[in-house]
Amino acid sequence: MDLIFVGIGGALGSLTRYQAGKMISRKSGISFPIGTFLINITGAILLGIVSSLDTGKNVYLLFGDGFLGAYTTFSTFMYEGFQLFQDNKKLNALIYILSSLVLGILGYTLAYYLI
Amino acid sequence: MRKYIFISLGGAFGAVLRYVIRSIPTPCYNGNIPLNTLIINIIGSFILALVLTGANEVFKLEADLKLGITTGFIGAFTTFSTLCKETVSLLSNGAYLSAFSYLTLSAILGITAAYLGVVLESAAANIVNKNKKNIKNTVDAKEE
Repeated sequence: MDLIFVGIGGALGSLTRYQAGKMISRKSGISFPIGTFLINITGAILLGIVSSLDTGKNVYLLFGDGFLGAYTTFSTFMYEGFQLFQDNKKLNALIYILSSLVLGILGYTLAYYLI
Repeated sequence: MRKYIFISLGGAFGAVLRYVIRSIPTPCYNGNIPLNTLIINIIGSFILALVLTGANEVFKLEADLKLGITTGFIGAFTTFSTLCKETVSLLSNGAYLSAFSYLTLSAILGITAAYLGVVLESAAANIVNKNKKNIKNTVDAKEE
C-alpha cells in the first residue's frame, strides 16, 4: 500500500518537473540551468512545509516521498553542473552547485521552522 | 500523449525504487551520513550521464522512451529535496561535520559520476562505431 502512494506521487512529480522545466527554459536564454535550479529550490521549500505540517503517514508518502522526491532531482542537477564545467564555464558551474545547495537548505529550514 | 505516459510510468518506478532502497537498513555503518540517499543519488547521476551521452550512439533509444528513462525514471529515482531535509536534520542535531561531509560528498561524487558516465559512454560509442565501420569495410571488400 505504501508503494502505491509513493508511485502515484512519483508519477505526478515527474510530470510536473517535465512541464515546469519546459516552461521555464523556454523563457530564459542564459547559460545557467535555471529550470532545474528553480524546481529543486521550490521542491525543498515545499518539503519543509509538508514536513512541518505533521500530515499523517499516507499524505507524507504521497507528497513528501512520492511527489516532491520525484519533482526535485539530483541526477539532472549533477549532469548540468558537469556540462558547465565541460563547456569551460567553471564559475557558472560552481555558482549553480553552491547556490542550489545553500538556497535549498535555507528554503527547507525557513519553511520548516516558520510554519 | 505517449511521452507523458512514459514519463509518469518511469517516475512511478523511480520513486518506488528510491523508497525501497532508502528503507534498507545499513547495520554495518554507524556514521550519521544518510548513506542510502547518497548512494541513490550517485548511482543515478552516473546512469543519467551514461544514457544521455549514449542514447544517440549506442542505445539508439526512441525519443519518448528516452524521456521516460531519463526525465521519468532516473529523475524521480534521485532526489534533491530529501538531501536538503537530511542535511537540515543533521544540522539541527549538531552534527555539523556530518552535514558538511554529506553535502560535499554528494556534490563531488555526483559530478565525478556524471563525468565517468560521459567518458565511459563516449569510449563505448567509439568502439561501436569502429566495429560498424569494420563490418562495412569487410562487406565492401567482399563485394569488390
